[in-house]
Amino acid sequence: MKGSTVNLDLRSVSVDTETEVILKDISFKFEPGKIYVLIGRTTSGKTSLMRTIAGLIEPTDGEIHLGEERLDEVPIWDRGIAMVYQQFINYPHRTVLNNVEFPLLRAGVSKADAKAQALAMLEKVGLSEFKDRKPSQLSGGQQQRVAIARALVRNTRVILLDEPLMNLDYKLREQLREEFRTLFKGTADSVTIYATTEPSEALFLGDELLVMHEGRVIQHGKPDFVFENPSSIDVAQIVNDPPMTILDAEIKDGKVNIGNLITFPTPAHLKSEKDGKYKIGTRASEVILGGSESNSEEGTVSLSEVSGSETLLYVKLNVGEVVLQLEGIHDYQIGQAVTISLAPNRIFLFNMDGTLCAAPGN
Amino acid sequence: MKKILKYSFIFIWSTFVLVPLSWALVTSFKPPAAVNNGATFIPWLQFQPTLDGWKDITGISGYANLFPPLINSATVTFFSTLISLTFGCMAAYGLSRFSYGWKNYKNPDIIFFFISQRIMPPAVLAVPFFILLKTLHLLDTKLGLVLVLTSGLMPIVVWLLVDFFNQLPKEIDEMAMLEGCNPFEAFVRTILPLARPGLTVAGMFAIIFGWNDLFFALVLTFTNVQTLPVAVVALNGTVTPFWTLSASAIFSILPLVGLAFVVERFLSKGGFAGAVR
Amino acid sequence: MSKITFTNIGQSYDKSPDQDTWALKPISMTLDSGKSYALVGPSGCGKTTILNIISGIVTPFQGSVAFDDVDITKLPTAKRNVALVFQFPTIYKSMTVEENLAFPLVCRKWEAAKIKSRVGEIAEQIGISHKLNRSANKLGADEKQLISLGRGLVRDDVTALLMDEPLTVIDPQLKFELRKKIKQIIAGKDITVVYVTHDQYEAMTFADELLVMSLGKLVQRGTPEDLFERPNSKYVGNFIGSPAMNFFKAEVVDGLAKIGGYTLSSSADLKQVADPYLEFGIRPEHIEVHHGSGDNVVTADFFSHDDLGSTRILNCRFGTGVIKVKVARSFEVPNHGPINLKLPKSNLLAYREGLQVL
Repeated sequence: MKGSTVNLDLRSVSVDTETEVILKDISFKFEPGKIYVLIGRTTSGKTSLMRTIAGLIEPTDGEIHLGEERLDEVPIWDRGIAMVYQQFINYPHRTVLNNVEFPLLRAGVSKADAKAQALAMLEKVGLSEFKDRKPSQLSGGQQQRVAIARALVRNTRVILLDEPLMNLDYKLREQLREEFRTLFKGTADSVTIYATTEPSEALFLGDELLVMHEGRVIQHGKPDFVFENPSSIDVAQIVNDPPMTILDAEIKDGKVNIGNLITFPTPAHLKSEKDGKYKIGTRASEVILGGSESNSEEGTVSLSEVSGSETLLYVKLNVGEVVLQLEGIHDYQIGQAVTISLAPNRIFLFNMDGTLCAAPGN
Repeated sequence: MKKILKYSFIFIWSTFVLVPLSWALVTSFKPPAAVNNGATFIPWLQFQPTLDGWKDITGISGYANLFPPLINSATVTFFSTLISLTFGCMAAYGLSRFSYGWKNYKNPDIIFFFISQRIMPPAVLAVPFFILLKTLHLLDTKLGLVLVLTSGLMPIVVWLLVDFFNQLPKEIDEMAMLEGCNPFEAFVRTILPLARPGLTVAGMFAIIFGWNDLFFALVLTFTNVQTLPVAVVALNGTVTPFWTLSASAIFSILPLVGLAFVVERFLSKGGFAGAVR
Repeated sequence: MSKITFTNIGQSYDKSPDQDTWALKPISMTLDSGKSYALVGPSGCGKTTILNIISGIVTPFQGSVAFDDVDITKLPTAKRNVALVFQFPTIYKSMTVEENLAFPLVCRKWEAAKIKSRVGEIAEQIGISHKLNRSANKLGADEKQLISLGRGLVRDDVTALLMDEPLTVIDPQLKFELRKKIKQIIAGKDITVVYVTHDQYEAMTFADELLVMSLGKLVQRGTPEDLFERPNSKYVGNFIGSPAMNFFKAEVVDGLAKIGGYTLSSSADLKQVADPYLEFGIRPEHIEVHHGSGDNVVTADFFSHDDLGSTRILNCRFGTGVIKVKVARSFEVPNHGPINLKLPKSNLLAYREGLQVL
């Protein structure tokens, strides 16, 4: 089945149960040939949105169109949508090759063609030598590759990937992430939707970013634009890993005061803001270790974590907990005293209701 | 010391279980003298084995023939097992994957309702079933007995299989549907092959219960359809000699023993392997 | 609080005389009292075998293991006073949280009052005080795992805490929180911790020292910083750090590396090395984008970049391969084309047959 270039169009899609709202009034037009990344916390509705598109959840309201077709009225098995789960889901009783052939055979492709196409796809994901094994005889990364091969082999109009790297360790995630970019670039006829909780994956893979929170899409746009201009504190927390540190602050008489100890003259990008109470946000990578007396506070390390090539310090200050990211790997003990200061020109300013006031730009 | 205790316990228990069986086996080959003149155990040493008992039950001596009851039992067991497995696995799949119910009564209650049918002593059901079959003109027919047995076997099958299906990830059937199978095809093509071990166990239980049913067969069939347990009991009631009785007992369990060996080999050959990780 | 000493410990499950096939090749080492260690490596590397030898689940084929210089090679697990936490939470489902935590003490016939205060103390530490009366079975996997840990630590005579992939069955989303909690619990105790994992993140976060294992051998032992700055093998260079270390081949002439018309000096003393070709490794974090020329500056072909949020990766063709350079987000990405990179001498490490040349 050759996909045609058609848009996937969600019109005010809502899903709710008796007790809770799962998806709230989602309208969005997905175009083929692009990778859309859904980013959000665990229960933000990413999976539900994908399952609704796939037909595994019935929307309580709204319409889903795929080109001319009213998709939400088509049964699951006729929708022609491929999905990859977070868990490595393959047919355990079939070999790797049979797994990849299966969707082709179901779609009416002849046996010989199905085998040829499945073999070509296995070659692409680097699993040719394992074609006769059962999925349970493969490592986690390989099992997920089989699932991806199965999803891509049919060349469907919509491909849904629900946190496919979540259950892998970080070296494999890094490796597969790079493979994904080349794999999905070859699918110009398909709408590719990729859900993740990891900002780095979103920035790395996404052509377009949809930030989800409590069943809504709260911001969408180019990934780096959203990253630089989060529309609210929620977005800022979701698109930063570690989450952006948010502190109470006050602008008064040309100065920004954060608690009693950290205070600095209002930086250029905040000059036009009125005096008053605000919340400020700062990225972990932009918090400074050390600093001058007026603009710093001493705190104690409550946790130090190493992630890949960076060290994260969680520092308890009087004004709250600040997360600080240091390049390279360093040794800090819990309880160790450190001095923290903020970079005035890198501060995000939010209103008390959480909406963005001013961003520092890049 | 601990070891001695452990092994002596195992020894005592095995003796308790095995002696009646082996005694029956030995007795089935005894001549009258070996039974009547005090206990004997070892063939050839204590007595000269004969096939008289076996001839009595296989129609050779003209005393009794257990082959027609064997065929009746096999037919009735086969069909009641087949029906309960076929519909039982569908019911179990439904109960495992979809939610049914009315008000506060949901799937678990339905499953309990199924199995609760086994709580009732069969004696309570005997009269209603008798009247039911009589009205339907199914008394003393194989079909009637198959239906009644199925009503008893189905709950066991459903109960065992719901649990088994619950262990298979739901995502597998979802994926089959996404890849073009309708729900029934998804069930047949992906879930059933994975459920083979579960079906085997449930089938085994159904066969054992069906084969050994005495009560319903005794109440609901008379002369046309005599099952093996009924025939064996009937022998007991007459003046049948001990060696013949013993032979009939061994005869009635032989098919199941044979089946158990086959299934055991299937399971150990990897009937379970690769199904669920 | 025990020093753990391995003397020539080797393990072979089939008792083969051929040491190359052993699950754990003979190893002697000392784990210091009160420190935490992570055994890290892919499955089958021997890390779990080491843990099982310490706990007594496995008796080694050869060699001896001692706690504080007392040989305990033959001592059964129960007498070693080690606390074990496994992949799957080990709790008594029928008991409440409090009864679970108290169980090891009840078995030791402590007085009721003493048990109560001790359990209270531990519950406080693992942050579960408010759920003491709940049925343990009703808790989430992460809380169950905390109770497993609490049950291990509740005894006052624990010499070592041994954890075997304790986060495996925890939802990825909860892993971070649980990791943080376990680390904070351990940090407050003077206890020797041995932690087995295949996840580099977990290992580096938990441990004072890492023991990187591969194919039954200890490849490198050191602090996370040691392993990051001075990986003693290509294996460790790839295994730790994100993205992995860059490697390229170069010709060695007069103790200097020659590649594509550039001459580079490295941290290694290459005068003694007979091989004309070596591999050189440098971390993406250590490469500087340079304007103009200078020592150890090369020109590469910058062709793409990746956005990782707070950092960016510049992908540059150099020699026959690709070099990745990690820069801060604030760094202004230049146009594609030639780019000058400085490979600092002290960070440029040399490798021969996969092992570091010093």
